[in-house]
Amino acid sequence: MLSRAILTGQTSRALLALGSRTTSTSAANNQSASDAPQSQSKLPRPVRQEPGKVRYAFIPEEWFQFFYKKTGVTGPYAFAFTLSTYLVSKEIYVLEHEYYSGISLLIMWIVGIKKLGPKLAQYLDKEVDAYEAGWQESRNQEKQVLEEQIADEEKGQWSVEGQTLLMQAKRENVALQLEANYRERLLAAYNEVKKRLDYQVEKQNIERRITQRNLIDWVVARVRASITPDQEKQNINRCIADLAGLAKA
Amino acid sequence: MGFGDYPIEYNPNVHGPYDPARFYGKPDTPFGQVKLSELGSWLARRNKHPSAFAGAVSRAYWRWQHKYVQPKRAGIAPFLHVVFGSMAVFYVLNYGKLTRHRNYKYH
Repeated sequence: MLSRAILTGQTSRALLALGSRTTSTSAANNQSASDAPQSQSKLPRPVRQEPGKVRYAFIPEEWFQFFYKKTGVTGPYAFAFTLSTYLVSKEIYVLEHEYYSGISLLIMWIVGIKKLGPKLAQYLDKEVDAYEAGWQESRNQEKQVLEEQIADEEKGQWSVEGQTLLMQAKRENVALQLEANYRERLLAAYNEVKKRLDYQVEKQNIERRITQRNLIDWVVARVRASITPDQEKQNINRCIADLAGLAKA
Repeated sequence: MGFGDYPIEYNPNVHGPYDPARFYGKPDTPFGQVKLSELGSWLARRNKHPSAFAGAVSRAYWRWQHKYVQPKRAGIAPFLHVVFGSMAVFYVLNYGKLTRHRNYKYH
């Protein structure tokens, strides 16, 4: 029940207004800015006024302007004079002891204001200027810091773009390394296979040679074993006969 | 509308930041432009609730503040306003005793 009462009607509006008032010095982060951001810029903001014009240090200028339209310049003075004459002569305004102490006080005030006023005004103006300059300086410093941060951020983004270039170059480098490694391995595999094939060829050649020699040895041995002493004798005889025939010729 | 609340007519989305010197209701004819024949009806249209009186006094106070006290290079005028205003107020308060100091019996 209580929460519903808070959420409805005047109270919520007051809360909203309170939220917008607490941050009313800065236009950017306003409570009502989040509610109606598009209308925020058009809303009228109160501006600090110039001090109202006065005569004789405190009587508003509007008082004299009010008389000026009807009576001219001397009107307000004539009015004040005649009214005070009437009040004093009828003793509606009573000139008792406080009146005279008031006059002496007024004289002291006038002298004090005339003597000290300009100096005090000068000093206070200087203080106001210093105060405002201090705020302005901190504002400018804040602005400068934020601008530097923005510049740093932009530079960071730029350097990150450079990082992508660097990354691309690294990728190409790695690809080159991979290619070189691949070719190296390819060559190694080729060499290994060739070595084994050469070995096989050499082995086959040797085996064939050994087999051939063994066969020849075996055949020669058998042939020699098959030759009988008769055959040898016949052969020698035949050789001698051939030699004789050759000698004849 | 309780204590500490904004006026009912005040809407921060329309009026912007709250100005305590401003009247947010529908403005009537200014008092200076009211004709004597319309004075009765003008007075009848006034809101006579105590909170309305308090609001009017508060707005006048803040109008005075904005005009004389709050400006950057305000002069001595607001102090003298307070001095002379309090002089008048206390003169009125003490008027019954001050009349005893009259010098003349017959005018």
